[in-house]
Amino acid sequence: MSMTENAGELKMVTFALGQQTFGIDMRSLIEIREWAPPTPLPSVASYILGVTNLRGTVVPIVGLAERLGWTPSEIHSRSCVLVVSIAGKQAGFLVDEVNDIVAIKEDAIQPAPDVEIQDTNVIAGLVQITTRGSEGDGDAAASSMVLMLDLDALTVTSTAATAASAIGAHGLHDAAAATPASVPGGLDLAA
Amino acid sequence: MSDELDEIQAIFFEECAEGLLAAEQGLAAMQGGDTSPKTIASVFRAVHSIKGGAGAFGHAALTAFAHRFENVLDEIRAGRIAPTQSVITVMLGAFDKVSDHVAAAQGTMGLPDDAASLAALEAVLAGQDAAPAMVEAPAPVQVPIVVEAPVSEEIDPFGFEPVTVAIEDLGGSDAAPAMPVDPEWTILFAPSRDAMANGAEPILVIRELEGMGAQVVGVDTSALPPLRDLDPENAYLRWTISLPGDVGEDQIGDCFDFVAPDSIVEVTRTNGEPLPPAPVEPDAPLREPGAIHDLLHRVEAASPAIFAAATTTAATTAADAPAKQDPRTADTASQTIRVDLHKLDMLLNLVGELVIRGSILSDRLSPADQQRVELPEQARLTREIQDTVMSLRAQPIRQAFNRVPRMLRDLTAETGKQVVLETQGETTEVDKGVIEKIGDPLTHLIRNAVDHGIESPDERLRAGKPAQGTIRLSAAQKGARIIVTVADDGRGIDRARVRAKAIEKGLIGADAVLSDEEIDQLICAPGFSTATTVSNISGRGVGMDVVRSNVEALGGRVDISSTPGRGTVFTLVLPLTLAILDGMVVRLAGQRFVLPLAHVVEAIRPEPGQVRSTTPGSEVIEVRGTYLPVRRLIQTFGLPDPNPLPPEESLVIIVESETAGKVGLIVDTIDDRREVVIKSLEQNLHPIRGLGGATILGDGSIALILDVDALVAPLSRTLTRGLAA
Repeated sequence: MSMTENAGELKMVTFALGQQTFGIDMRSLIEIREWAPPTPLPSVASYILGVTNLRGTVVPIVGLAERLGWTPSEIHSRSCVLVVSIAGKQAGFLVDEVNDIVAIKEDAIQPAPDVEIQDTNVIAGLVQITTRGSEGDGDAAASSMVLMLDLDALTVTSTAATAASAIGAHGLHDAAAATPASVPGGLDLAA
Repeated sequence: MSDELDEIQAIFFEECAEGLLAAEQGLAAMQGGDTSPKTIASVFRAVHSIKGGAGAFGHAALTAFAHRFENVLDEIRAGRIAPTQSVITVMLGAFDKVSDHVAAAQGTMGLPDDAASLAALEAVLAGQDAAPAMVEAPAPVQVPIVVEAPVSEEIDPFGFEPVTVAIEDLGGSDAAPAMPVDPEWTILFAPSRDAMANGAEPILVIRELEGMGAQVVGVDTSALPPLRDLDPENAYLRWTISLPGDVGEDQIGDCFDFVAPDSIVEVTRTNGEPLPPAPVEPDAPLREPGAIHDLLHRVEAASPAIFAAATTTAATTAADAPAKQDPRTADTASQTIRVDLHKLDMLLNLVGELVIRGSILSDRLSPADQQRVELPEQARLTREIQDTVMSLRAQPIRQAFNRVPRMLRDLTAETGKQVVLETQGETTEVDKGVIEKIGDPLTHLIRNAVDHGIESPDERLRAGKPAQGTIRLSAAQKGARIIVTVADDGRGIDRARVRAKAIEKGLIGADAVLSDEEIDQLICAPGFSTATTVSNISGRGVGMDVVRSNVEALGGRVDISSTPGRGTVFTLVLPLTLAILDGMVVRLAGQRFVLPLAHVVEAIRPEPGQVRSTTPGSEVIEVRGTYLPVRRLIQTFGLPDPNPLPPEESLVIIVESETAGKVGLIVDTIDDRREVVIKSLEQNLHPIRGLGGATILGDGSIALILDVDALVAPLSRTLTRGLAA
């Protein structure tokens, strides 16, 4: 598997959320940070967990699980925040675990069948990838399905999402109750 | 590639804005009597470069109009037309049209109707002091204009008799060829090899020439290398272009203004004679020396004094000519570079971050280490950097004042009132964001002053005032506030009428007792207008409302003071900067929030029983005999509060708001008072009602800034969403 950027190839960051493996285009990714409880916001959709300080910029943190209409992610030691750029705005997505960076052929992305996820279809396509380190274990186990997320379709930062349309209105407060004092420092600050 | 072009185009429009600014300042100086060659040259240069850029980007209408304007300026620069007040008036009109054309090229408005202004310019070119009526007359180009010429000096030395001359006969450069005998131009154009790398795309030049009727008659491809050596980004071709003889040589020259320096451009008449190197007079007949001379003769016959004045001006201008030859002398005065505003914002962010990291670092050191000289020194340096970055964003308020003169010209023309503008403190520096947002309020205040304040000349004379009204626009810095005033010497606010109108509109009860100040403030109520008829200028009742809401959105306020018969003064009190706010850090359910100090009146630790509930969900606090409404912010925001404090253990902060007067806000504690750097929430999210933004505290965590006016606004109108959450 080549990691160099070739024509027709794109790099994808894969991560786990719930029982699924998702992928986003590497070009949208700004950085990966450790989870730190964000400052909760009043009067916002429940999937907006709050805002955090990214080098002096106020960036919203989105619970991707809540956004997809699932039960909120449980915070554990491998929880991370993927900071991405969507149409010029930045947002952090809480995910369960970051897996890998893989290069895929653009034509290997299959159109998503009409997956029923909430109101809009946020899956840009499906990709089959060979899981690292499992080569030779048998073909079925060696490959897995990745759901490519359509970041634009998530519309987390562009529209004034109303609380009325949000599901699980208590998610905000669960996150807020975790620890009021925030822990400074993401991965980028370790250096 | 198209992005790049857009970027260049954006730079062009920025330069246009600067050019317009320079031109307006120059014209204003000329109006004020400064007709020095330097001033005239500055206006000429500004218009010329706008024209040049417009040509390169294919904005034909702008190019054509700027060209005519430039012709007049050129004549004035050369001393052939005296810059009299009426000529300057025509030029101010033309300047307005150039601004409109630039706006049209930017797509912010439709193409302006410039026929009247063009006609006035042509009239000036024809050596005639255009009567003011000419400027306004919506004369289509074809309409004949009037040139005055003496017929019989014996009968009356000042006797004028109008002679009708069709404008075609005056021969604008684009009009029908006035000298069809002119031999054709032949141009040999060989762009330099790296023309395209320098952004001097030859096709643009050729298109511009074609716009004047040129035809490419031959292409010399002999310089083309074999295919394997060919660099597609180089220019190898030489064009031979023929052009109708009636096109002015200066026009041709203008097309080549922006070609790369080592290009070959040879312009010849078809008879083969290369032109002499000295610039030849453009050949529009009336600009021929002979024609002008002829005209001057006729004018001289009519009025020797005027002629003498004109020639004197010409002579002085000519004498000063060497000074203006070096256009750089005027430009070297200010050394500036253009910086993208985003970069400045980013720098400000980073400095803010530096401050925060500095304080985190300081917190981690032992008290003894904190006292060492290095840390305070670094803090001082950081503070200095922060101040400098803030000052980079500061711009003279002139940028906001600059559009007022033009607006006044339009307004006075529309209303027939006479108004002079006096400005003061234009150099006061204000944050760029403030300048951008006070434009609309200023527009409304000036319109209001002309429409409602200043009386008609007759009425003013009857009231014993000069026929000409005065509007004073001033700006000054007082502490951390900028005070902008718009004062007129008109009739003042008619309080009886305002009151009657307010009762009629149901804004106040018929028996309400209001102070003069309160009545004055009524004019800022939404939908309020005393104008009996809705005019173009005002009367729709949105103006003053906009003024107040825009100013309040900036964190400022509007004061009104009015003396009947003497005039009205509007005072806008604005924050010096939008980026920094003096705040009180309070705690609500463990979370920190920032309350803007400007709103805070006092903080009270209530006695038992001082806070009482009236109806379920609404409470009041008794403060020195007055009952004030109280809001529990924890409930308003729907914050989880595991162990709510009784009122006696919390604090009530009395805030003053525009929407609901004095209101008490219940918070847990006050943490701190500090200056905070405001970060917008909408940059990455969307505005949230009740919040004015966010800030980053010393430990790197985020505190939300409360928007007091939105929070305390009457409940029916606010925060239903917040309560739902």
